[in-house]
Amino acid sequence: MILVLTQVLVAAALLLTVVALGYALFDRVIGNVVLGLAALVELGVIVQLVRGLAGIPSLDGSKATFTAYLITLPFVLAITVWSAIKDKTRWAMASIGIGAFAVAVMTLRLQQIWDLHG
Amino acid sequence: MAETHSGHGPGRILVAVYGVLALAATGRSILQIVEYFDRAPLAYILSALAAVIYIVATVGMARGDRSSTRIALLACTVELVGVLVVGAFSYAVPSAFPDKTVWSHFGSGYGYVPLILPVLGIWWLNRVRRGSTQTSSAA
Repeated sequence: MILVLTQVLVAAALLLTVVALGYALFDRVIGNVVLGLAALVELGVIVQLVRGLAGIPSLDGSKATFTAYLITLPFVLAITVWSAIKDKTRWAMASIGIGAFAVAVMTLRLQQIWDLHG
Repeated sequence: MAETHSGHGPGRILVAVYGVLALAATGRSILQIVEYFDRAPLAYILSALAAVIYIVATVGMARGDRSSTRIALLACTVELVGVLVVGAFSYAVPSAFPDKTVWSHFGSGYGYVPLILPVLGIWWLNRVRRGSTQTSSAA
């Protein structure tokens, strides 16, 4: 995992969490700001996925969790954003917020495993 | 208008939280079973069971038809019982739970979300079910 990218990614995902929950709170539907931010986070997640997959053989433990998190991570935002585009309600925005928060937490966890076992 | 689909409206938030928890529980349980099952088989089996139940609840709630809602309700109930029983046991017999699982210590490792979530889930699913019975009897 690329440490700097992890840091940027976590910051961006947390920003997305706040923005999306703000949208939900003020009942605004999904727009370019949220979509752009989500696209940036997703791009970072995919870069980490590629880097992470390449590094799996050299991990000395926790391979299963690492792989499971790594592979599911790109789906989290993809699914929540997709649902917000189809269903333009505040509730769908709130689920993007929850998804983005999960991305931040899981990315941190991945980095932690990487640092411990890499 | 009362919401009659468990995966729409505020239910979307529950589906999202359930999905995340299903993911977290599945990840942790894969790790525990693959890498050190012998350390605490009971705790790890329960952990895997919790993961499966979260998946069932997520899918049931997201589908939202009558029988799916019923299945999701059942899953939420099992979950509530599970988190209460396992939570109590993990304080009474700590040696059986050397590592944190989703349900041990009433879900404290996950910010007590596993304790609160089934209560919200049961409340929401019952609301939806009541809503849909009223709609169908009115029609």
